[in-house]
Amino acid sequence: MDNTGNITRERIHGITALILALFLLGVSSGLGVVKNIVDIWGTLLIIPEYPAVLMRDAFLRWRSWSQDKNSLNEEVIKLREENARLRLDLAKLTGEKIYSDDAHNNLRTARVTLRAPMSWWNEIRIDKGEADKITQGLVMFSNGYLLGRVSSVAIMSSWVELITSSSFMIPAVIEETRELGVITGDGSGNVLLRYIPAGRGIKAGMNVSTAMIGEQLPPGLPIGKIVSEISSASGYATYKIEPGADMSKFYTVNY
Amino acid sequence: MLLVILWLIQDFFTVLCGGSMQIPGLFIMGIIYKILFADDNADGNLWAIWSAFAGGILWDLRWIGIPGFFTLGNVIVVLIVIQIWGALPPHGRKTGTGFLVFVLFELSQLVPPLLPVLILGGDSGWSLYLLRQAYAFPIVLLTIYFYLKNLNKLNL
Repeated sequence: MDNTGNITRERIHGITALILALFLLGVSSGLGVVKNIVDIWGTLLIIPEYPAVLMRDAFLRWRSWSQDKNSLNEEVIKLREENARLRLDLAKLTGEKIYSDDAHNNLRTARVTLRAPMSWWNEIRIDKGEADKITQGLVMFSNGYLLGRVSSVAIMSSWVELITSSSFMIPAVIEETRELGVITGDGSGNVLLRYIPAGRGIKAGMNVSTAMIGEQLPPGLPIGKIVSEISSASGYATYKIEPGADMSKFYTVNY
Repeated sequence: MLLVILWLIQDFFTVLCGGSMQIPGLFIMGIIYKILFADDNADGNLWAIWSAFAGGILWDLRWIGIPGFFTLGNVIVVLIVIQIWGALPPHGRKTGTGFLVFVLFELSQLVPPLLPVLILGGDSGWSLYLLRQAYAFPIVLLTIYFYLKNLNKLNL
């Protein structure tokens, strides 16, 4: 059949299809049978549409859960603020002193995974490393007091040199007198404050913290208290320090 | 078979979006795509006319509830495409037809959903219609890209 014949056939079929479509449009809305056909067709399509229904429901459930979670979080924040206000009001009424625990809350925790008997007073291994943004020199705390600092870092773990280690040396200051010295360990569980000029009225119970000397340690980190003077030679005294961190009983450290 | 799959995909995404998104007419675009690459044969493009009719009526039964809207729209689009495409000389269809093809594909997105909006109306009818055009536009561009790519392959 030639091209003209094709065009004619296409036109005839096209016009027929148009008339049928118009007819359907005109009469079908009034036919009750259409509703039955719509129902049957809808039922048949349940099978191919089923995955879409499942996916849509899953998405809607996830969105609902997410909204609920956000709403709960907002509620928790509101309750915390309300709780803080009430605590403040209570403290004002009773004259009680309130300490801010914000600094403590901001600290992150690492678990001690190894404390070898051979190097008991020298180092520990923790379960946080480069992946947790641990860097060499980072300070570790226990009970809010200096415990040591990171000596080496792996991807998932780090080694922390303890303040009782004989190779641990950091500048420190006696807070009451502002005398500067060096904190070091003796490798046997003791912490010492060295190079304090003799005869400066240093007494037991005075607080020792990190000094603003050196690049890695921030100043003012609490270390412990002076216990007693151990020795005095060449005009400089060495003091025994009782560390604030419990050096025998810690399973986690903060940083 | 391809047309059946396209119809089912269009239906699938319409169910998936649950009315929150207006799915472009993939089925009618598939018909036009096939017309553009169809060889001249004894039956011409009769398959396209009746496929558009059948696809339209099934779409109406599934999503409108009254057969005729997309049925009529699809047939109109196919007839226009056949007329315009048939008016081009065979060698002319293979070169420099990018803009014309864009017009034909856009027509397939503009006409069929227009009838329900015009006849049934509704407050949100026009906004949904425009939304559908916005979603359809990138699909049309993508289809033209594939069309031109296929055309280049054939011309090599």
